[in-house]
Amino acid sequence: MIQLSRRSSAVIRAARFAALGVVASMAFAGLARAEDVLAKAKAKGELTVGTELQFAPFDFVEDGKQAGMNKEIFAEIGKELGVKVTFLDLPWPSVLPGLEAGKFDMVAGPATITKARMERYRFSSPIANATVAILKKKGDTSITKPEDIAGKKVGSAKATAQLAQLQDFAKTLNPPPSAIQEYVDFSQSYADLGAGRIVAVANSLPNIAYLAKTKPDVFEVVQPPFGKPVYFGFIGTKAEDSKSLMDAVDAIIIKMKHDGRLAALQKKWFGTEMETPDQVTEASF
Amino acid sequence: MFNTEIIVKSLPMLLQASVWTVIYSLTSVAIGFCIGTLMCAAGLSASRLGRAVSAFYVSFFRGVPLLVQLLISYYCLPLIGVNVPSSVAAVGTLALCTGAYIAEILRGGFLGIPPGLIEAARMVGLSRAQILTRIEVPLAVRFTLPSLVNETTMMVKASSLISVVGVLELTRLAQNIATSTFQPLEIYLTAGAIYFVINGAITLAGEFAESRFRMEKAR
Repeated sequence: MIQLSRRSSAVIRAARFAALGVVASMAFAGLARAEDVLAKAKAKGELTVGTELQFAPFDFVEDGKQAGMNKEIFAEIGKELGVKVTFLDLPWPSVLPGLEAGKFDMVAGPATITKARMERYRFSSPIANATVAILKKKGDTSITKPEDIAGKKVGSAKATAQLAQLQDFAKTLNPPPSAIQEYVDFSQSYADLGAGRIVAVANSLPNIAYLAKTKPDVFEVVQPPFGKPVYFGFIGTKAEDSKSLMDAVDAIIIKMKHDGRLAALQKKWFGTEMETPDQVTEASF
Repeated sequence: MFNTEIIVKSLPMLLQASVWTVIYSLTSVAIGFCIGTLMCAAGLSASRLGRAVSAFYVSFFRGVPLLVQLLISYYCLPLIGVNVPSSVAAVGTLALCTGAYIAEILRGGFLGIPPGLIEAARMVGLSRAQILTRIEVPLAVRFTLPSLVNETTMMVKASSLISVVGVLELTRLAQNIATSTFQPLEIYLTAGAIYFVINGAITLAGEFAESRFRMEKAR
């Protein structure tokens, strides 16, 4: 009995100590979070951006290094803010949780601006049109318009807005596609399309236009896009301490739209310029 | 179809990333060995609290998948104010995980030490810490060297998971290159070959250590 009580008191002491630690660290976290993200980045001279290097033409690897449109847009943002931009590469399902955990100041991506995401995140001024279209194998005559995927096996990437749009589109078809494969990332869906395991991949126009441009003898884009008109934007948190950073980024992107810098980058990476609004206040999807 | 050119082109980058794989996994094993030794000693000690801590530690880090541990350390700890950089989260989690396995491996070794030897050491006046570092650990390591080498090779492979917390290593770079070049077969075969060579080297080093520290020579 004595032994028992002694043991339990040791456990209680340990638990009390742990609880104290948790409370103290939470209080500390609260203090740390109150600091303005932009002011902190400027003081440090560094803006940390989370992204995934598997989303050409925005972010991909060339000769072992990051390449793509994000790097070039953020070079301009970094110049205007007077900070160095450091990118952190994570698998996409980890990127938004990382933003919420405060692992980086904002997210490049970019991500499709959707209603559901707007409730949780603050989007930057859009940088491209993200309307979803179909990518097919070069010379596949059985698919000439988006509706032709009816009854066929198609794919898209897990946890993406593009997949959600494909699922919605599939409901309007009769018969619906025989299967919608969900991939961890788009590259696997392209590989399966190339291997003939699926006949079409649904993804945003800039991505598949770039792919068809770099691999013209393998892939082909099916025009027109089938999805609702949506846009790509960078992502920040809705927290008060991120507001000044996201406002500053918006101002820079809008400035780039007006002086033609963004259009030049769009032409370089998508092969065509894209009309985008200054701000998306209400998403169509 | 098989493109050797892409292998030649990406091999230097993959080798560079494999240096990180080796650094992350071996650092973790080194730290994990210290944690494992302490936990093993605590588990075998007379202190009830020590045994409870050790049992809890081993059962948690052995019972929860490494991937989940990594996600917890990176995304959940910041919620209670512990916000560490990616590399620290990666090494820390790998070390804690392998520490649990090493504690169990060493426990087998510790139990194999004849009690009379410890008694004799105590008789000649060695302290508890001295007995641990001078007698028990060296003997336990010799007994368990093959299992420890095995655990090290497992950690080299397990390090392929740390990209989920934003750390660049061999597998992540291979994925990134495969995505950008659309040549997954060539890239993953190359990455696989590099892992094979790394673990081959570790196995050889283990065999050398075994022959060098054989028990007969130790006497």
